[in-house]
Amino acid sequence: MLSEKLQAIHKEAVAAFNAAKDSKDLYELKVKYLGKQGPLAGLMREMAGLSKEEKPLFGKLVNEVKQGLEDHYSQREAALAQAELNQKIATEALDLSLPGPVRARGARHPIQKVINEVVEILSRIGYSVRTGPMIEKDWYNFEALNIPADHPARDMQDTFYIDESHVLRTHTSPIQIRTMESEKPPLRILAPGSVFRCDSDVSHSPNFHQIEGLLIDRKVSMADLKGTIAYFVKEYFGPEIKIRFRPSFFPFTEPSAEVDCSCPICKGKGCRMCKHSGWIEIGGSGLVNPKVLAHCKLNPDEWQGFAFGFGMERMAIIKYGIEDIRLFAENDLRFLRQFEA
Amino acid sequence: MKISMRWLNDYVDVQDLMAAPEKLAAKLTAAGIEVEQIENLAARFKSVVVGHIIEKGQHPNADRLSLCQVDAGQGKNLQIVCGATNHKQGDKVVVALPGAVLPGDFEIKLSKIRNVESYGMLCSEKELGLAAESPGIMILPKDAKVGTPFADFMGFDDVVFELSVTPNRADCLSHFGLAREVGALLGRGYEMPLADFKAAGGSSKKFIDLEVKNSDLCPRYAGRAVFKVKVGPSPDWLKSRLEKVGLKSINNIVDVTNYVMMELGQPLHAFDADQLAGQKIIVDNARKGEKFQSLDGTEYTLAGDELMIRDGNRPVALAGVVGGLNSGVTEKTENIFLESAHFLRDAVRRTARKLGIETDSSYRFSRGTDPEGVVLAMNRACELIQKVAGGQIGSDYHDFYPHRHSHPVIAISHSYLEERLGYPADKKEFETWMKRLGCQTKESKKLGGWEVQAPPYRWDLEAAVDLVEEFARLNGYEHVPETFPPLQTSPAPHGAQYVQENHLNDLLVAEGYLQAINYGFYNSRGAAQFLGPTERLKSVGLPTAAQGIAIKNPLSEDTDVMRTSLLPGLFKNFLHNYRHGLEAGRLFETGFVFGTSDQGYHESCRTALVAWGQPIDLWATTKTERPAVYDLKGSIENLLAKLLITSYQWRKPKPEEVPSFIHPGQAAALFMEGRLIGVLGTLHPSLNLEHKLRHSVAVGEFSFADLMKGQPRLPKARSISKFPAVERDLAFLVPDSVPAEDILKEIRKQSGALLEEAWIFDVFQGGNLEKGHRSVAYKMVFRDSQGTLSEEALTQLQKKLVEGIQKRFNVQVR
Repeated sequence: MLSEKLQAIHKEAVAAFNAAKDSKDLYELKVKYLGKQGPLAGLMREMAGLSKEEKPLFGKLVNEVKQGLEDHYSQREAALAQAELNQKIATEALDLSLPGPVRARGARHPIQKVINEVVEILSRIGYSVRTGPMIEKDWYNFEALNIPADHPARDMQDTFYIDESHVLRTHTSPIQIRTMESEKPPLRILAPGSVFRCDSDVSHSPNFHQIEGLLIDRKVSMADLKGTIAYFVKEYFGPEIKIRFRPSFFPFTEPSAEVDCSCPICKGKGCRMCKHSGWIEIGGSGLVNPKVLAHCKLNPDEWQGFAFGFGMERMAIIKYGIEDIRLFAENDLRFLRQFEA
Repeated sequence: MKISMRWLNDYVDVQDLMAAPEKLAAKLTAAGIEVEQIENLAARFKSVVVGHIIEKGQHPNADRLSLCQVDAGQGKNLQIVCGATNHKQGDKVVVALPGAVLPGDFEIKLSKIRNVESYGMLCSEKELGLAAESPGIMILPKDAKVGTPFADFMGFDDVVFELSVTPNRADCLSHFGLAREVGALLGRGYEMPLADFKAAGGSSKKFIDLEVKNSDLCPRYAGRAVFKVKVGPSPDWLKSRLEKVGLKSINNIVDVTNYVMMELGQPLHAFDADQLAGQKIIVDNARKGEKFQSLDGTEYTLAGDELMIRDGNRPVALAGVVGGLNSGVTEKTENIFLESAHFLRDAVRRTARKLGIETDSSYRFSRGTDPEGVVLAMNRACELIQKVAGGQIGSDYHDFYPHRHSHPVIAISHSYLEERLGYPADKKEFETWMKRLGCQTKESKKLGGWEVQAPPYRWDLEAAVDLVEEFARLNGYEHVPETFPPLQTSPAPHGAQYVQENHLNDLLVAEGYLQAINYGFYNSRGAAQFLGPTERLKSVGLPTAAQGIAIKNPLSEDTDVMRTSLLPGLFKNFLHNYRHGLEAGRLFETGFVFGTSDQGYHESCRTALVAWGQPIDLWATTKTERPAVYDLKGSIENLLAKLLITSYQWRKPKPEEVPSFIHPGQAAALFMEGRLIGVLGTLHPSLNLEHKLRHSVAVGEFSFADLMKGQPRLPKARSISKFPAVERDLAFLVPDSVPAEDILKEIRKQSGALLEEAWIFDVFQGGNLEKGHRSVAYKMVFRDSQGTLSEEALTQLQKKLVEGIQKRFNVQVR
């Protein structure tokens, strides 16, 4: 009798497990058939009335059925879990064409970017940055640089005046003087900064940026100057870019040279940027005039130097193809965002 | 300066280069005389030819227009409409055919004028760019050949160079001077112009008395009279040469002085000798307060230190700068006194600069003229005057020249030359170049080099290094090799300002801000209006001058004063962007502002920010706009965290201390290291109204030096606790008058070392809450570094916290 009951329970439970719709359902059935209140547990209790010989036999039978049901449950549970996971995955597809959250992205101003790029390249060969005031003494901006009062060279730089003895610096060259006065040679310095000229048109801004380099050492030649600038230009514009020196005049250097580089845009073939000449003017340079050294109390027989200067706006125009100089001061977001790289 | 190649060819043979002027230009540019432009004059008058008026009739539809049949050598007569009245049948005229482009980019096309076709234009001198004004069309001499290109007819088969001559090369400011340079460059000889004439007039010296009182400023003064001249228009050859180099023809006498200046570089002045009071020329300083009227009629009041040319009782010329109206050559002039002098550079520069006059004469004198060329130039002018204006040249002439000028001898060694160049220099080559430059060169065994004396016209050759440049440029800068100077000492660190600016700017870029760079000057009125009372800025830690440092010669009102704050500039940038439809943005600027202190001018670095709107983000949890000021404040707090600054406070300024461009209820000042160092807040609503702004705009400005004091700070590593953390929340009903942060501070203070972190995680207003109150919820994270916190200890701590806070702030726990 008992074994018949056992068979019936097994059959019923298996059918119920098979019919379970989900794992929660299944778990409830497990409790129902295999739990302490379930039919198997009831049969075990009924075993009390059996003889000593029958007990172990029947007990074994019940355990076998119980084990069989538990195994079946596990199988069903795994199958249901898998089916449910599959179902979940199937409904969870995301449209990854949607963007991530938008976070405002910042950027350096292109002028700052160019300054940093130039500084990085020249730092590698021992140059370090110095800064100085923008309202500058006439002495530092002109006199010490061998540009005496009333000299025609002053007409080369249209100057904003503050008072009798102060101007808005027309170049960052006063920083060379200040450094030569305050530090001991040998020196390799870079002076980036904002400069002012009383001049404004399509291609000139009254407040723009320059970087100037100065080297002071015991023996310095034009060849050293040319080699240094050639290194810089190749690093900045590309290894195929060449430089060319043209004689010029700056009161604070002698000999003086304008520096041209082969046009990085057209690689020297001729384009609008280089006015179809294949060459682009990028700055001025020369050996430090002994008169300037003497003004800084350096003995020109002992110390020599070279200096070079580049316009940062011009560099940015060449490097990034900026077409209008007015963009630099407008601070239009649409312009600035182009330089977030 | 303009140079005509034909004129240049008078002194150095450049005939072979006429067809390839760019070759000569390249040579000059490579030697430091930059040729900015090459103009082929023949091309300027393309399709402009000599024509002959065969018939002059009346235009059928216009009384004021004539209808001409013109033979312009085209094989058939051309019908041309003309508005001028000075022509008649049979005249030779200048015809611009269709396709011609006249000065001013005026293109001639086949056109219909009042329904009558016109196949070209009869030109006036003005239309041809040959005169400023002209009464009618240009009538050519009868013998002009029909069909001849006008350029050929005028002798305009020429090329004109526009030179940019650097201030050190005054010797190249004339055709002969440039011929010398070209001769040196090409290794060709050059010819000096000669003055060949008969001096049939009376004595110049007896006619005009000369006295030079100020010989230190006027080392040489020569003068010669020309008697009985006939002032009138110049002949065509003279006019044409002057026109080519950009000078207007005035009269034959003045034209000759200009011609000789353009030829030899020596400025000259012709006086009407009969106007010279007392028949005297005195070179002397001006009298203080004296008035002087220049040739163009401008009156100047003299300070007394100007070098003047005077007659018996008044100034007649500003020496080397400009002549006086009282003694200039006019149509009535009969006898002239021609001045050719050498004035010192400084004297002329000073006068010209002080009075703001720049003439072709002062331009040359202030760069240095040739003292040895004075007499030649004077005689050359006498010869030409006689040629074009008749008269008799004075039999003798003045030449005050007490000390013959010569430049000092420069010692240069061969090794110095090579060391500066950085490459081996051939001795013979050096000597050749010096010789070609006109230098006297003597080899010196003692120096291991040479003694070199520059010619009198080369004022720029003063020292050995100048000769290095001469050698380098003539030999060609392309021969300079590229070497690398060895680094002998260890490199120095960058200056702190550069490093710190970069650091701060990088942090702000990471916060999503775009860097702006504005001019260092701005409009004083606009800025003052924006900034309002400056004492308010001072009270939040931004000392600001009420009056910015003024620029003496501003370009315009827009840039008349040095900036005292960065915000007016950033606000302008914001408006620019906003008006271009950019409704969200973040800008910052780090830069200097200017003021005055006891030590003089003072420059201090600031960092300022402006933020408005939010980027369109579909993930935003709420669609209502967050006040921009919280974005800005959050960025500053991130910045401070990254600078490892933990001890700072935001302080609410009193309404009367809030800068007037900031909303008085939405401002916070940053307190650090014992003082206020800047402010942030929402733009004042009145500015929103004024500029029609629909969004809240946040602005802030901080003192850079205070922010970056002690930077870089080094992070200090701490061990990480193994024990678990416990979180607790507390919410209070807080009156609006109590800042939420004050309670947070109190939580921190009371919790002591067990509190790891605490923050405000929710603020709620409205609903059933009591008016004037809000619910603020705080989250706390507790952790004991020594062991696991017991539930009991936590409960006790929380109880203590709630009691303490309720007692202190009159708030209720929720």
